[in-house]
Amino acid sequence: MRRVEVLKPVLVSNKQRAQENRKKFDSMNSLVINIIASPGAGKTSFIYRVVEHFKRNYRVLIIEGDIRGQVDSECLLKLKVDVIQINTLTECHLDAFMIAQVLPKIKKKYDLVLVENVGNLVCPAEFEIGEDFKLAILSTPEGDDKPLKYPLLFHLSKVVVINKCDLLPYVDFNLKKAKAGFKKENPKIRIFDVSAKTGKGFEKVYRFLERELKVKKKGFKK
Amino acid sequence: MHEYSVTKSLVDLCNQEAERNKFAKIYKINLKIGKFTGFSPDSINFYFGYLKPNTKCSNAEIIFEEIPIRIKCKDCGKENIIDEPILMCPNCGKTDIEIISGREFFVESIEGE
Repeated sequence: MRRVEVLKPVLVSNKQRAQENRKKFDSMNSLVINIIASPGAGKTSFIYRVVEHFKRNYRVLIIEGDIRGQVDSECLLKLKVDVIQINTLTECHLDAFMIAQVLPKIKKKYDLVLVENVGNLVCPAEFEIGEDFKLAILSTPEGDDKPLKYPLLFHLSKVVVINKCDLLPYVDFNLKKAKAGFKKENPKIRIFDVSAKTGKGFEKVYRFLERELKVKKKGFKK
Repeated sequence: MHEYSVTKSLVDLCNQEAERNKFAKIYKINLKIGKFTGFSPDSINFYFGYLKPNTKCSNAEIIFEEIPIRIKCKDCGKENIIDEPILMCPNCGKTDIEIISGREFFVESIEGE
C-alpha cells in the first residue's frame, strides 16, 4: 500500500467557481448580496421592500433559491423586475455551480442582484456563490439566542437585519442581548432593526445599500 | 443535508487523485476537518457509503482528524485554542479576533495501491 500527500481542500471547486462568478458580476459592476435566513424570517418580504425602493433608479435582478416550487418568484414578479428561479431539489443551500448555471440567462447588466438563498441558517454559510457580501436576517420570534447558536453565518455576514420588530411587545426577544450576541461573533457587523410588514427601519437599510451600490458602480474591487 | 454535495466533492477529488497517482484502489482517506466548519463526520460517512460503490473509493474508509479552533486576539495579541466557536478572547474578553485555524476542510493524504 502506498500513501500520497494530497493537501487539497474538498470545496476547492466551489471556491474557484464562486470566484469566476464574482469576476463576471464585477465586470458588470453588479452588487451581489447573498441573503440568508431561516424559513419564515422574512427574506422575501425584505427583498420586496428593497426592490420597491431601488427599482426606480437601479436595474435589479432577483435570483430565487428554493428546494422546490416558485411561490416566492411569483410573488416577486409583481414588482415587474427580472426574477430567475433556481430549484435545488435535494440541496439545502445554493452553491457557486447553481449560480454559474443561470449566469448565461443574465443578458442585461444589473446594478443590484439579490440572491435569496434556501431558508436555513447553517449550510448556506459554508458555500460562497460569488457574492459581494452576505446579509443575514433574523426575525424576533426566532429568539435572541440565535447569534450564539449559529456563529458561522453571523461571523461571515457583513450585515444582519433583525426583522419583525413590530412583534417585540409580544415575543420574548431582547434586542440588546441579540445585538451583543451579533457583535460578539462579528465586531464589524452592521445591524438594522426593521419591520418588513410596516416598513419601519428601512430608511437606514436603503441608505446603507445606496452607499454600497455607489461604491460598486465606481468599479471598486475588494 | 449539505454533506451530500460535500461528500460528492470529496469522492470526486479522491478519484482524480487516485487517477493521477495510478492507484487502482484507495483504502484510506485522511481528511482534516476544522471544528469551526458546519460539516458532520457522521453525515459525511453516511453519504460516503452511498456514493463510493463503483468508484476507486469503494473499499475506502475516511479517517477524520479534527483541527481545533485557534484564535488570536487583535487587542491583547494572545493566541488561544477554544472548545466552542464563541469568538471571544479567553484572556481579555475582547471579541475582535482573528481565526488562525479551525475552518480547514481538506484531504491530507490518500492510501491505496
